Amino acid sequence: MRNRGIRGMAARLAGGAVAAALLLLPAGQAMAQALTAEQLIVGLQGPGTLTVAVDPRALAAEVQANVGKGAAALPTWSKLNSLTQLVVDINFQYDSVAIVPGSYRTIGLIADALHHPLLQRYKFLIVGHTDARGDPGYNLNLSLKRAEAIREALATTFAVAPDRLFAVGVGEELPFDPGNPDAAVNRRVQLVNIGPVD
Amino acid sequence: MLRRKFVAVALAAAVLTMGTAQAATISFGDAMSVMARDCGADVEKYCKNLNLGNNRIADCLVQNQDKVSPVCINTLVAVTASLKQRLAAQASVVKVCRGDAARRCTGVVQKDAHILDCLIKAQRHVTNKCNAAITDAGWR
Repeated sequence: MRNRGIRGMAARLAGGAVAAALLLLPAGQAMAQALTAEQLIVGLQGPGTLTVAVDPRALAAEVQANVGKGAAALPTWSKLNSLTQLVVDINFQYDSVAIVPGSYRTIGLIADALHHPLLQRYKFLIVGHTDARGDPGYNLNLSLKRAEAIREALATTFAVAPDRLFAVGVGEELPFDPGNPDAAVNRRVQLVNIGPVD
Repeated sequence: MLRRKFVAVALAAAVLTMGTAQAATISFGDAMSVMARDCGADVEKYCKNLNLGNNRIADCLVQNQDKVSPVCINTLVAVTASLKQRLAAQASVVKVCRGDAARRCTGVVQKDAHILDCLIKAQRHVTNKCNAAITDAGWR
């Protein structure tokens, strides 16, 4: 294991049960397993050529103009589905942008992954999601501020180049479990590889 | 005040020591686990609505060091040094391993982890310095 390098490890993980569980299980179950930097590195590897050009400002404008209308009103957002991405669980103090100490490790693991040579030349979208409790406009704003807090921590404390990180919020508009819009599983952070740094 | 000065001095000493001693580094994930374990309760108590970014948690803990547990202050010093050391190790790999890459990895495409992978596979033929740099960067 030690001498085979990250590519060898990536190949084994991708074919193994760990990566499959991370990608296929409902987020809540996948998150219950201990996250590792290797899973993040493997799961967020660049596609080589990007199929969709992502403009974070266009995403922000679209959701801002369609608050409370749900996924059907967000065609630009639906294009993100085809990109390499992972969902992580980062918890915040109630109604606050402060990350709880219990989630510090996850932020550190994301930093480990973003500094790895396999991911070093890629840009990432950090998307904040809330559940459906409360006002949709308020939730949108909170999800944006929380995504910005994660970006700030990565870009300052962990010295990830700020031009590689884009924070956007989508509030309650794209629930993980549309059948249970108030469920905790909908509160999540989505990391999306949006292609090489220009 | 005196204690704050102590923290600053201890921090500087830790950074210097780690910089020269080439001690093995730890990952950001592990560093943050230690931070949460040793400072979590103090953060909840004194810095509840502050964030990790821009040094806000570290500044808040230092400002409240008369109340914060000594274990947390020690951990904060060590973790701050450890983050710096890991970043420095990662930044040094390209330079330290340049000669090894030229010798062992000619023709390898210079993007993503191709060179790194080549150096890791050629570990037995790579200089100790380069091997140590890769290990300290956490990329093995």
